[in-house]
Amino acid sequence: MKKFKTLKYALVVALFVGFTGCDSMLDGVEPSTSVSSEVVLTSEDGVNALRASMYSKIHENFSMHTEYFVGPSAFSDETRNRPGSTRYQALNNATGTSGGTAHLNNWGLYEIIQDANLLIGAVDPSVFEDPATLDQYRGEALALRAFAMHIMVRVYGYEPGNFGQGDLEGNWDAGIIIRTEPTLDLSDADLRPRSTVNEVYTQILNDLSTAKTLLAGRNSDNRYITEAFVDGLTARVNLYAGNWGAAATAAQNAIDNFPNSLENTATGVADMFDERTSNAHSEALFLVVINPDTEGGGYNNSGPATYTADGFLAQLPTQFLIDKYDAADHRLGWYQDCTTTQLNPLTSPTNCDAINTNGFAITKFRGEKGNSVDDLPMMRLSEMYLIRAEGLAKDQNNPAAGVPDLETLRTARNVGAVPASALASQQAFEDFILDERMRELGVEGHRFYDLKRLQRDVRNPDGSLKMRAESYRILAEIGSGLRNVNDQLVENPGYE
Amino acid sequence: MFKKLLFTVFALLLSASAYAQSGTLTGQITDAETGEPLIGATVYIESINRGTQSDVDGNYTITGVDAGTYTVSYRYVGYVTVNEVVEIGSGTVTRNVELSVDVVGLDEFVVSGYAVQQKREVTGSISTVSSQDLENVSLQNTESLLQGRAAGVNITTTSGNPGGAFRVNIRGNGSINAATEPLYIVDGVQISFAQLSSQASTSPLNTLNPSDIESIEVLKDAASAAIYGAQAAAGVVIITTKDGSAGPTQITARAETGVRSLANNVDYISSEQYVEYMGEALALNSGVTPGGDYSSYEDIYRNFFLSFFGSPVEAGDELANTNWQDFIFDEGVTQKYNVSASGGNSATTFRISGGYESTEGTAFNSDFTRLNLRTNIDHELAQNWRTSVRLNISRSGQTGVCQDGNFINCPPSQAMFEAPMSFPYLFDGSYNPNTRFGEPFNPAVVKNEVDRENTVTQILSSIRLQYQANDWLSFNGSMNVDYRNTQDNQYRSAIAAPSQNGWISFANRNVENYQGNLIANLSKTFDGVHAVSGFVGTEYRSDYSESQVTRGDGLPGPFFTVLSATSTPTTASGINSEWRQASYFGNVDYVYDEKYILKLVARYDGNSRFGQDTRWGFFPSVSAGWRISEEDFLNIDAINELKLRVGYGTTGNSAIGNFAARGLYSASGSYLGSTGLRPTQLANANLGWEEAKEINVGLDYELFDGRLYGSIDAYQKDTEELLFGRPLPSDSGYGSITENIGSVRNTGVEFEVNSVNVVRSGFRWQTRFNVAFSDNEILELPNGDPIGEDALFTSLIEGQPIGQIQVVRWAGVNPADGRPMWYDADGNITYTPTNSVDAVNYKDGVANTVGGFGNTISYKGLSLDAFFQFSFGQWAFPNTDYYFTRTPDFLMNLSTEVLERWRMPGDVTSYPRAITGGTDFAETANYRTQLSTASIYNASYIRLKNISLNYSLPDRFTQRVGLNNVTFFASATNLVTWTAWPFYDPEVAFSPNDIYNNLTAASYPTERQVNAGIEIQF
Repeated sequence: MKKFKTLKYALVVALFVGFTGCDSMLDGVEPSTSVSSEVVLTSEDGVNALRASMYSKIHENFSMHTEYFVGPSAFSDETRNRPGSTRYQALNNATGTSGGTAHLNNWGLYEIIQDANLLIGAVDPSVFEDPATLDQYRGEALALRAFAMHIMVRVYGYEPGNFGQGDLEGNWDAGIIIRTEPTLDLSDADLRPRSTVNEVYTQILNDLSTAKTLLAGRNSDNRYITEAFVDGLTARVNLYAGNWGAAATAAQNAIDNFPNSLENTATGVADMFDERTSNAHSEALFLVVINPDTEGGGYNNSGPATYTADGFLAQLPTQFLIDKYDAADHRLGWYQDCTTTQLNPLTSPTNCDAINTNGFAITKFRGEKGNSVDDLPMMRLSEMYLIRAEGLAKDQNNPAAGVPDLETLRTARNVGAVPASALASQQAFEDFILDERMRELGVEGHRFYDLKRLQRDVRNPDGSLKMRAESYRILAEIGSGLRNVNDQLVENPGYE
Repeated sequence: MFKKLLFTVFALLLSASAYAQSGTLTGQITDAETGEPLIGATVYIESINRGTQSDVDGNYTITGVDAGTYTVSYRYVGYVTVNEVVEIGSGTVTRNVELSVDVVGLDEFVVSGYAVQQKREVTGSISTVSSQDLENVSLQNTESLLQGRAAGVNITTTSGNPGGAFRVNIRGNGSINAATEPLYIVDGVQISFAQLSSQASTSPLNTLNPSDIESIEVLKDAASAAIYGAQAAAGVVIITTKDGSAGPTQITARAETGVRSLANNVDYISSEQYVEYMGEALALNSGVTPGGDYSSYEDIYRNFFLSFFGSPVEAGDELANTNWQDFIFDEGVTQKYNVSASGGNSATTFRISGGYESTEGTAFNSDFTRLNLRTNIDHELAQNWRTSVRLNISRSGQTGVCQDGNFINCPPSQAMFEAPMSFPYLFDGSYNPNTRFGEPFNPAVVKNEVDRENTVTQILSSIRLQYQANDWLSFNGSMNVDYRNTQDNQYRSAIAAPSQNGWISFANRNVENYQGNLIANLSKTFDGVHAVSGFVGTEYRSDYSESQVTRGDGLPGPFFTVLSATSTPTTASGINSEWRQASYFGNVDYVYDEKYILKLVARYDGNSRFGQDTRWGFFPSVSAGWRISEEDFLNIDAINELKLRVGYGTTGNSAIGNFAARGLYSASGSYLGSTGLRPTQLANANLGWEEAKEINVGLDYELFDGRLYGSIDAYQKDTEELLFGRPLPSDSGYGSITENIGSVRNTGVEFEVNSVNVVRSGFRWQTRFNVAFSDNEILELPNGDPIGEDALFTSLIEGQPIGQIQVVRWAGVNPADGRPMWYDADGNITYTPTNSVDAVNYKDGVANTVGGFGNTISYKGLSLDAFFQFSFGQWAFPNTDYYFTRTPDFLMNLSTEVLERWRMPGDVTSYPRAITGGTDFAETANYRTQLSTASIYNASYIRLKNISLNYSLPDRFTQRVGLNNVTFFASATNLVTWTAWPFYDPEVAFSPNDIYNNLTAASYPTERQVNAGIEIQF
């Protein structure tokens, strides 16, 4: 009996004492496919994984692949949908009068900005033994944040200096929301109004300036953000802002910092987008690499190749675009018969010749990596020559100042000198630059934005008017979905 | 300890050898009222562990009892036990005993959570269903036993699949985004519902054999349920299994078999009627005068159907006329065997039982099997030390069918999707490739080439140690285990999955749910009138679950059904999850002079699911009872008991995602070989419990010497701090955050009446009845904004119930031309209504009036029990039936309602002119998709839920062959249903996947079962 009495007291005491630690017994429960923010932001592996997430969001986000590359072409005059296909037909047909029809849409890029903001502002500085690693990551994050903001602001706002462009509002300078701090708790998820375009551009250029410092000398691996890409983006942003001199300077910096030079042979040019070749993407200032086996999930259905050369074979180059090339142009190698371009045929292509007489498809994105996947050249060296040419000509108010850079590019592409007619006036030179940009950068995400920043009308391939430069439809709609959540968000003119 | 046991055994042996100096106890046991002998009553002398049973004349004899004074107990089922002190010498002592019928409900004990309470002293609202109510009810599931038997507990089958799940709704729908499942406790073990099979509707309570259940108590109001704190907002269901009792070992064996069939078929038109319909539609659409010659148009469709579906005859010129319901639903056979042994002595009692059940469902292939073993042992370790073990081990299996959706591969929807012109097999016996969705979805292929099985191994066990420190203080410690392993196997041959060349998947799911608690019980009476009792306790629960899912594509043939035989592994995934809860709780009961009762309950729960700042919650309740019948002023003979109860309390709902409060980064995306970790959920340190605040007023009564008894309860339950996702600006990087905003109110009144109508010369007639009326109203939503304001079935609007249906009013068919008509918001006829403008608040999915009633009539060995269950007030939209079988748009089965169609100008009909599909009239909404009041059906019903007939052989036959009792029985479940619902089954007229209760899509209908069997006791 005595034994039991002892046991009794021992049991009672042990259990009650055991239970007094209750709060700590509730700790240590962790989800299996998630971790808490503290774990990520205070460990080297966690921060590396956050960086991987930031980059992977580029290839996962439709706004950063198909919409980035194909959207501006479909929305203007570079591509039209093959009869029988429907992908981006809505953008092809969207005109200036029907509010609510298709437009480019990339407000979702804040998810990239969120990862960038965490890397910039929330990582414990002692995570890495070598502080240079964190500096590099922060530089990358600043550049990516600037990149995402620029891609967004050019959809939702006019370019600096163009605020009087629209005919519904006298002066419309609303940009996008600026978020530069990480959202760590609920109070950070506050409601904010749109900043002005000038404020957004100031933020972008400040970010790029800091990024250039942090990434100085890092130019060996273009699969991550390099100093050359920061220079290139600085050039592009300044070009949009009309800072011609700064754009030309930054473009030169990019050319200087980039280790490769322009391809100058017929096959070198024609194959530069083919990942199966050794010189693939030799001109890419920033190349987002995708593993077709594990990361190509959605590409069969929505990747740029599926839209243009593979699968649905929907957006084909217009005769208007093809007509821009001389017969000797190496760049004609980017266009091939639509039947032979298909590596992963989902449809038996018909009616390709309804869009261009040769029945061409454009092969920049062709799914050569498998599963309709291509690596994504977010910016190429040739753009730097084009920016420099335009920047110098406009900065010096002299078309001739832009000729050397244009000719460097044209020589590499086997098309020789700039014709004299292009130098007749600034207007003529701008026209020529626009044509050269189509020839070089077709279906790489420029055409609509080039027309917009230069306040040109958007026309159909047959020359008919699609959207006047003054039309409210030049800017995209914010939408009631976003505004219902955030009452400080004002709509662009014409949409309410 | 061991010494003592040895001594006891030794003493028992000695007493046996002292046989010569002993006496005999004999006598007769009769019914106190009628004087008739009671056959099979138990006589037991506990102290020497000897006993017997009375014979056919009520006589009993125990010989060889040592001289001495003993307490002898006389027991008979349904009668009050009598204990007599008898002095036995060397001769024969005769004791005749009269037993009186125990009709009084209030003397019963009620298991109210961590303690047992006399029903007289209960101050909250608790419904009890005991084993006596459930004898000969042939059901597979524990939940189904409660259906219609507990006022205010609304139980609906979610599937007719044998072993299928139930929706148990105690006092209305109190949550929108958190779970509304009550807490189930079996012999103290809290049951986990995590990681159920995904291949069949199922319940973790399937582990229990209903014949092992002694009682089910439902703690309905907050005052009773608050002892379970944060898990109790949706109510608590406490299940207690049968114990052994001291006495000679009694063995009961029971076998039954039966047939299961579809309770109701739906009428669809024949192939020829289909051709007529389509021909008429095309003719009228082509401008033929109504009543003209449609034959050429009929030929067009006859030929089209022959080309579309093919022909079952070799000549290829005859349309099939298949009754797909007969193909898909078939009769199933059920068999059940149970054996139990119970008995024991003063130190140890036991009950062990085993059961096997095999039940085939009506939908092809579906079935349920269960093998279970249960051991319940109570043992006195030493003086003041007791231990008990409850152990249930089961292995159950189900072949499930998919259901609840417009799925082309699920049998319940296929019964609607295949037209009569379609047919399963070609004339040569091969599969017809031209069924509605092609060969892989031919129902015959789904039947023969697809296998979906789950097997569940479950252990439910508790071990308890009790120490009685003195006459007022005792300690209880228990450890509880709820372990469940579920294996889901699915196989599809190359015919059913041609693009993968066949595949198999295998999922392994585990739940490890442990609890431990320690309780100190106190009970003391001061000055004879102040009775104080109560307990304090502490508890810990950890609920861990995990799953691994694998799949392989490409099978070399029908010979292998293992992953190793597949050519391509396609899926390998796995997750695990866990939550923990730590608690302190206490309860104080104070009873003054057996008249005034005060009860205080409190629980303090900490749960890992919640934010650091709101992790701990306090759930108090107070209730009081006043036994008015004990007052001198109420000295009326007819009133035996009258008790007023009032209670108020708070309970919580912690059934949210295990990590809903955390700031989370999830593994997602990758770049250059590095897996990404990205923020997916914003931390919410303030995320807290949903809180139910409930006031309950009740009255218990017992009149005319217990001939009439029952209770009345009224409640108002406000669930506050409801969890809603509040949208965040997307530029913050997050879509929404879960916050505590909003509230819902449930109010209701419940009545329970039991009566003993006749007890005379062996004839006995008892009646029981219960009904609950309830209302549901949304009180508060985030910012007061409606959610889904114009949604037909899923709107949430302040002031309305959850499940409000908003549709436009149906105005009938225009007699002039057969066009469908609706009313607009102003009551004018319109052909093109707009739902957001013209819809009215029509009906809702709340079953406001539910209950049941039953009669038991017995005469000697014969007894008949009929139990009815009813549900009124719920309306629902039969999604699949309406969208797919009302018009020929999809060439599926067509309801016979089309026979009521408009045919000639002047016809006043309920169905418009025949239509080939879509909108046949210009400027007229689509009859199929423009839902209206005519698309919403009343799902009210009354059902003869169970009827059973028993006959026990008289003892003079049984005792001759050495048996105590032999009973033959026959029973039927869901035998008759009265309802206005024109489809399969009003009981499954809701989606188990939402809270609105007003839309159903191809559910597996409830089945009718007729069983017969025999039970033998010896």
